[in-house]
Amino acid sequence: MVIDSRNKTLKFLLLATLVVLLIPAKAQAYIGPGAGFAFFGSMLTFFYATLSVVFYLLTWPVRYVIRAIRGRRAFVRSRVRKFVVLGLDGMDYALTKEFLEEGKLPNLARLRREGCFKQLATTIPPISPVAWSSFQTGSNPGKHNIFDFLTRDKKSYLPKLSSVDIRDTRRKISLGKYQLPLGKAGIHLLRKSKPFWTTLGEHGIFSSVIRVPITFPPEKFYGVQLSGMCVPDLRGTQGTFSFYTSRSDGSVEHTAGESFTVTRNKNTIKAELIGPPNPFRKDNSVLKCPFVVTIKDEDTVKLTISGNTYTVAKNAYTEWIKLGFKACPGVTVHGICKFLLLSTTPEFELYVTPVNIDPEKPAMPISHPGIFSTYLAKRQGPFATLGLLEDSWALNEKIISDESFIKQSTDADIERRKMFFDSLDKIKRGLCVCVFDGMDRIQHTFWRDIDKQHPANKQRRQNRPRNAIEEIYRRMDDLVGETLDRCKSNDTVLMIISDHGFNSFRCGVDLNRWLEENGYLKLKNDGRNKKNLAGVDWSKTRAFALGLAGIFLNLKGREAQGIVEPENEADSLRDEIITKLTGLTDSAKSNQPVVKQVYNALKVYRGPYKDEAPDLIIGYNKGYRASWETAIGQVTDKIYHENTKAWSGDHCIDRSLVPGVLFCNRRIETKEPRLMDIGPTILDMFGVAVPRYMDGRPLSVADAASRRTDQSE
Amino acid sequence: MMSFLAHIVTWLNVPLNAAGKLLTAPVAAVPGWLSNTVISAAMGVILLVLWKYTSNQDAIGRVKDDIKANMLALKLFKDSISVTLQAQGRVFKGAGGLLFHAIRPMLVVTVPICLILAQMGLWYQARPLQPGEEALVVMELNGNVDSAWPNVSIASMPAADVIIDQTRVFSKRQIYWKIKARENGLNNIVFQVDNEQVEKELAIGNGFMRVSLQRPGWHWFDILEHPSEKPFGPDSVVQSISIKYPDRLSRTSGTGWWVAYFFVASMVFALIFKPFLKVRI
Repeated sequence: MVIDSRNKTLKFLLLATLVVLLIPAKAQAYIGPGAGFAFFGSMLTFFYATLSVVFYLLTWPVRYVIRAIRGRRAFVRSRVRKFVVLGLDGMDYALTKEFLEEGKLPNLARLRREGCFKQLATTIPPISPVAWSSFQTGSNPGKHNIFDFLTRDKKSYLPKLSSVDIRDTRRKISLGKYQLPLGKAGIHLLRKSKPFWTTLGEHGIFSSVIRVPITFPPEKFYGVQLSGMCVPDLRGTQGTFSFYTSRSDGSVEHTAGESFTVTRNKNTIKAELIGPPNPFRKDNSVLKCPFVVTIKDEDTVKLTISGNTYTVAKNAYTEWIKLGFKACPGVTVHGICKFLLLSTTPEFELYVTPVNIDPEKPAMPISHPGIFSTYLAKRQGPFATLGLLEDSWALNEKIISDESFIKQSTDADIERRKMFFDSLDKIKRGLCVCVFDGMDRIQHTFWRDIDKQHPANKQRRQNRPRNAIEEIYRRMDDLVGETLDRCKSNDTVLMIISDHGFNSFRCGVDLNRWLEENGYLKLKNDGRNKKNLAGVDWSKTRAFALGLAGIFLNLKGREAQGIVEPENEADSLRDEIITKLTGLTDSAKSNQPVVKQVYNALKVYRGPYKDEAPDLIIGYNKGYRASWETAIGQVTDKIYHENTKAWSGDHCIDRSLVPGVLFCNRRIETKEPRLMDIGPTILDMFGVAVPRYMDGRPLSVADAASRRTDQSE
Repeated sequence: MMSFLAHIVTWLNVPLNAAGKLLTAPVAAVPGWLSNTVISAAMGVILLVLWKYTSNQDAIGRVKDDIKANMLALKLFKDSISVTLQAQGRVFKGAGGLLFHAIRPMLVVTVPICLILAQMGLWYQARPLQPGEEALVVMELNGNVDSAWPNVSIASMPAADVIIDQTRVFSKRQIYWKIKARENGLNNIVFQVDNEQVEKELAIGNGFMRVSLQRPGWHWFDILEHPSEKPFGPDSVVQSISIKYPDRLSRTSGTGWWVAYFFVASMVFALIFKPFLKVRI
């Protein structure tokens, strides 16, 4: 009764206010700005929304006709109303099978029972950018031009991102110390070919594509897209964390991070967050965002930044904090980050995540259309936008603990889940694709949980037994369960796929050192341990390694200082290296074979970009991978490096050892499905002809009526 | 209850009149558009701050984000009729939510704004009489049609002449006089009502003066609207005395218009300062 009476009063008040506001002029004037605020806040919204809806509804037939003329009639030959692809980056076939047999993944077990569960063949090499590019284009890397995370600049031999090229605007007006850039920075996607959702769009089928790797910058198509892996942080890097400490020896060098020594003045610490270079200054000085930390007690500090104050508790991440880097009056670059207070006494220690591009006001294009990221931010609050958002380097560098790293991953999953389910709700007909990459990051960093012999466990003290990998498989199984609940309709196809599997990474192989020992690479006198291939004597080097999988020949006419004759020498050199590398064994480990197979790019790739690939792709054996030094072009003094980092699992090995998974809520008869077959399958299911450039072929997916109820797989 | 409210408003008017006289004194010396603009700007900002601290800013922020999200959804998923209608429904729901969250601060803001508007009305709602101009003086008496009429007269005064002596309207229990202004200044008209003397302010002059249109009776709203003079008590024979001053002709500070101008100008200034003060409305 009390509640009823309160409700009535509330309703009366609301009604009275509405009446007052709907009778304009004098009444409003007497309430003054109060009424004005209410009017601006709600009445204008009301009118604008009504006008928008009327406009969209009235123009809908026109748009329908235009779409029909442009792209034939959508869905006419479609065998499906909605197609949902849930990408679980790095879900390993063998591990999944093991967990399924142990009854740990009930939702995936249901999918296996009612539809199918198969190995999904991955790409050469089995690396996310390569594999997801093949997924989206339905073609082999020779057609989409992505062969690794990194490639080399042919002129300078410097490593560069293989997927995106970001260049500052060339046209500027000089104003003394300052400059006025004319136009925007050039951001170009280096992935070639055409994603299958663009083809769907051309046929009038709407798609929602969330966080699929190698979609930055986003391309235009009929649908919405949020870019994934390879989206940079605000500084333009692939993620640079900041660590503030009062230790006098605090300013040490970190990979993918920076340490700053701060001074504690009683209980106050003043510091700055580093932002992007200031585009308005000729000296390219970086933008900074100052902040003040006031220590309240041992476990709590007060953080003041960008005009707001937050209470930060020890060992607990803050919410996403919005930052403004002022470039010049009226121009602010927006970012978001989280703070993690690690310690206040005896030394102050504060970790800050890489500054992500603010999705609400993105400094770079991270979605298509541009307002899509704003829509998501308004709908669910700020979210991580960085491509590799889990800060594995902060974990590797022992800045953050295992638990703090896992928290980053679980928080990211929660954000992604909201976006994914929103897209499932919004899209009644069409394609929904969403990739969750936490599984990849957790397996990379916690393979040591399941590989007890892993070198990273030698110095590790674990208070309680934990299996972070099993935990994330279970968590993703829950996600699958919720997804299944939203895909009950018979004309909805759900596929769960992964781009590759996983295995242990116990030992890094310095390929450049091996090339040096075998006479293919020559260092300058002081060239050892120099990064970015800076120590290599190019006049005497015939082959070099860069990135995680490839060896490049120093080919004349292709590389700036090439010495290998493409016609007479290159083929024999390739064969020679393949023969030698295939026989490589690790004498420290009972002559265990290190390399399972070496692939000649000219033979395994087809298409206009195969010449851009590394000449040789190394398929390592279980336990081995290119060393960290090889990846960045540093030549050390030994071939084998024991991997003691938290990054203990990997997939940059031979593709036969790390297949992905394919679950579907319908039966699939094809014996050996490949990742590049998924796009063509979706086109085929929607009744769209598979373009001839695609290498993938449609899988034979059974009709909805033939769902199995027995367990026969 | 009404009597209690009348007491409260009467009590509030004392300090407000003192402060109003002091703070709005420059109004007499500057153009009307300027004084109204300055007051509107100051009030817009003050009320904005008041709004910030009396409203649930987090909740308003959430609702506004939700509205924006659904507005963007209208655009992003425009080819889906179901999403369009669903988003519109949510926008309407959000607009209702905003109204709901506006109730508390609006109620809080209403009280000071009414008191301030009453003070401003003294300056802008009418202009004083100019020497030679005529005006009606109306006295309203207590009682009903059958009640006895008191003896009422106006004492002679140097500031104005009575040109038409009292005219009684029996059905309304009102007495009318017509006066003609003679010399500039803020004067009092003294009325003899039976054995009692009552007074009413008379403003004669050029430019801006505090003009009290009415000396109110014992009603809270009248006291609120005409704060300058002490109200007649509940037992007084006289219920109110008003003077029909001429309208001030101005689109920014003239009769009727000044309120609208205040509303718009205070809103504009509040909206300008909104981002700096980080207020969600």
